[in-house]
Amino acid sequence: MKRNLRLLFIVFVALGIVNSSIAQTYEKIWFDGFARSYFARDAIDKNVKDDTLSPKNASNGYNLLDLNTHVNPIDDIEIFAQIRIKNSFGGFFGSGTEIDSRQLRVNGTINNKVRFSVGDLFLKQSRFTLFNYDEELSEFENDMFKPYRDIIHYENFYTENRWRLQGIQTNFSFGFDRYIKNLAFDFFVTRPRGSRQISIDNYSSDLLLSGGSMVAELNNHFTLKNDYINLFEVPSSGNQNVSVRNPVYQMTLSHYSENNEHYIEQKLEAGFSKRHWLHSELENGNVDSISNKTHGLFLELENSYFKKDSTFDFSIGYRYVDPDFRSAGAQTRRLDYGAGNINSNYPLYTNMQMVRPTSIFDLIADDRLYNQDLSSNLMTFNPIYSNVFPFGDATPNRNGIYFIGRYAHKSKIILGKLNTGFFSELIGQGTPDKRRFTLIRASLKLNIHHFLKLNKELSFSLASENEFTKRSGNSVSSIDLKSNQIRLSINAEFAKRFFIQANYRQFDVKGNEFLTERNNFGEITYFSLSDYNQKDNILSIGILNKIRKNIYANIQYNWWGMEFTGQPFSDYKYNRLLFILSLKL
Amino acid sequence: MNMKLYNFFLIGLVFFFFTCSENEFEGMPIENLYGEFKILQPLKINNGNPNFSKNEIVRFHCEFSIPVEYKITIEGMSTKAKREINGFSNLLDSNLITWDGSPLKLPFFIDEFCAIELTFKDQIDTIRDTLKILSAKMYEDGIWYEDFEDGLPEGALVAYNKDGGELTFATANDVPLLGNSYFKMGGKVNWDWNIGKIDFELDFKNVNESADNFFLNIGILSDLEDFHSGQFINILISEETQIPFNGILTNDASDIFESDMEVYKMKVPVDWNGWAIKSFRYSDFEAVSPNNPAIDFNMNPKDIRAIRISCQACPSSPGNPICPENFGKIVRTDIDHIMFTKNTDIFKSK
Repeated sequence: MKRNLRLLFIVFVALGIVNSSIAQTYEKIWFDGFARSYFARDAIDKNVKDDTLSPKNASNGYNLLDLNTHVNPIDDIEIFAQIRIKNSFGGFFGSGTEIDSRQLRVNGTINNKVRFSVGDLFLKQSRFTLFNYDEELSEFENDMFKPYRDIIHYENFYTENRWRLQGIQTNFSFGFDRYIKNLAFDFFVTRPRGSRQISIDNYSSDLLLSGGSMVAELNNHFTLKNDYINLFEVPSSGNQNVSVRNPVYQMTLSHYSENNEHYIEQKLEAGFSKRHWLHSELENGNVDSISNKTHGLFLELENSYFKKDSTFDFSIGYRYVDPDFRSAGAQTRRLDYGAGNINSNYPLYTNMQMVRPTSIFDLIADDRLYNQDLSSNLMTFNPIYSNVFPFGDATPNRNGIYFIGRYAHKSKIILGKLNTGFFSELIGQGTPDKRRFTLIRASLKLNIHHFLKLNKELSFSLASENEFTKRSGNSVSSIDLKSNQIRLSINAEFAKRFFIQANYRQFDVKGNEFLTERNNFGEITYFSLSDYNQKDNILSIGILNKIRKNIYANIQYNWWGMEFTGQPFSDYKYNRLLFILSLKL
Repeated sequence: MNMKLYNFFLIGLVFFFFTCSENEFEGMPIENLYGEFKILQPLKINNGNPNFSKNEIVRFHCEFSIPVEYKITIEGMSTKAKREINGFSNLLDSNLITWDGSPLKLPFFIDEFCAIELTFKDQIDTIRDTLKILSAKMYEDGIWYEDFEDGLPEGALVAYNKDGGELTFATANDVPLLGNSYFKMGGKVNWDWNIGKIDFELDFKNVNESADNFFLNIGILSDLEDFHSGQFINILISEETQIPFNGILTNDASDIFESDMEVYKMKVPVDWNGWAIKSFRYSDFEAVSPNNPAIDFNMNPKDIRAIRISCQACPSSPGNPICPENFGKIVRTDIDHIMFTKNTDIFKSK
């Protein structure tokens, strides 16, 4: 018996050692990732008669797996690689299968003090230096179109308003026992664009973005933050003798105070930018010179109040952004209407095969319309979708006040949000008269199941987004543009984690606006007059199965189209059946 | 707290006043772009009787209330020769908007009355005027030109297939492009590609333009009567530096167009009726022997030593029936007014 017990003990110890060594081996390499199945069938609405050339219906889909491999060769270093395997429906025996390296990064810590990352970085600073603003008409988005938004954001690497860049980053911090509580630093150098051949014997220069941040927690009430960023080209990396320089400097001073119920913050944010083009290696031995030099400032004062039980908060502020404030990292748009992108879905329509104007459905459903590259110039925008802040809070030539508020009933029966702004231009464009902008966005969600004390969710949402642009003056230069988007949606949980969803969205725009055309140095070259009178609409019905957090299956049917009045476009109507299975591993 | 807030706002206020822009507005005035169109100053022509042979030019001046797309059309009343000047502006600046007497294409203007019309896109207004050309432009201002007015130039070499029929490799006076003479170049050689050629020795040592900015212009006459569909002109330009232009006197042609020399070519199919002026950028010429490693191809107008203009056509006889449908047809590729110009072609359209 004793002998048997000893043998049993030895076996257990041996198994334990083996088990332990296996566990350690696995700790050095681990996996996670993301998988998606996507199928869409698009069709021309049966009421459309003037398009016999386009296919009546078309379907496409794919399965994809993004496998994330994390390798820890030593405790303080991790190598991360994301490999994509994508198989389009209809491809067999390997045809139509793509395997791509999607991300590669090395993270580590030196002496437990200095962190570093090399490779694909996701960077963000302040809203005026480096910030990837949300696309237009995406505020107050509901669950119905979340699968679409998830694809746009995931495919374009839009994460927490960060820009995905490739380079090196390091950060570290210090703690102090007097004068300053904490001092943290962050620095990075990235290359948003490499040198490339632009004609037979011409090569563009490398475009680099470098920057740094310093955050000083002075005490429990005050924080000081400084950001610096510089977008610049390196002329020697190509053979173009014109290169851009765009440094931006920013400072934020924040003051906090709180008690058991409230939290109050005052924030002063200010900074300035410079931009010019350097002309180097000139002919006949001429010395380097600069051109198109501009500098601009910005200032924002904001007071915020938060109730600690999360039932009420608001911010009220004043913002001034100079007409010549230029910050490539903050003013680059997700949607570039000047890039010549055409819609993936039915790009041409009618028997005249006209280019189909982009609708709000395309903005929601077409991830290929979106941009991942920083631009040193202000990009083209469509005023019907965002005329008040086409470049986010960093939109130049704006001066005004804003109010943002949120209210939630204690029992969550009602949830309301409000975002308003009253702004004007600092100087006019093409006329001394200035545009005046009004922005009113509001949403209201009624959680009826809380009111009726039901176990399953039943909710109703209403949201409205309105933009008004006016410019007085004579009949030639005056502007009056109104846009309105209204959304109604219902979510009803009919079985555990199964929801029936219905959504109606309508977007109207009417009026006129002058589109600004700029040259390569950002100078205004022309104002193109545009008249608008059009209506977008989407009606959607679907079923969502929230299997787990970050795992869902969704099937929905969309009826969508556009109607034009007095415009050189024909109306259109399409339908779509969509199925998405999304799994975060 | 209030004191701190006060300080914040004070800083902001100072910032605000410091940054106020002094500009009145950005960009061009919208009223100028989209306002009512008015002619502020009528069309003025500085020279109603230009003598283009003395390099006189005609200047135009006019002012409008808004920038518009404008078009000045000048049409010869006798020849129907035409020149158009287009632009987008609210000003016809007489320093910039000029006419040197050249058309946009053939025919040329002659000594004649011309109708001038100024029109505007999307506007009903039209301004009309006339002028009288006292003497037409002579086109003798190129770097080198040959108009055959004094017969063949000294040193020119003419060679042709003497076994052919109805060969015309000589100057003629019946239908010149300009002046009184041209070089008639054609005939019938059913069994071979080469009909004949003319070589000119050139000296461009003083030319500093690059191959991109150097143009050859040549007037070519053909007709479609009994048309030979395989006829063409082959232009060769030699930058050979060692061999003399005409070192071997026993042949009729120059000796510097051989395949082991730095020679460039341009093939011009001739398939139209009447005179046409063709212009070629020198950098568009191709090397004759691009794969010969012994030749250093370094195209440079300064090094041009000779030009050959060959009349050729695809053979059609039963012994060499490449294009038999042309059997017995007479090739016609007459030339006149060969001119090298710098920076632009003869019509200033390139």
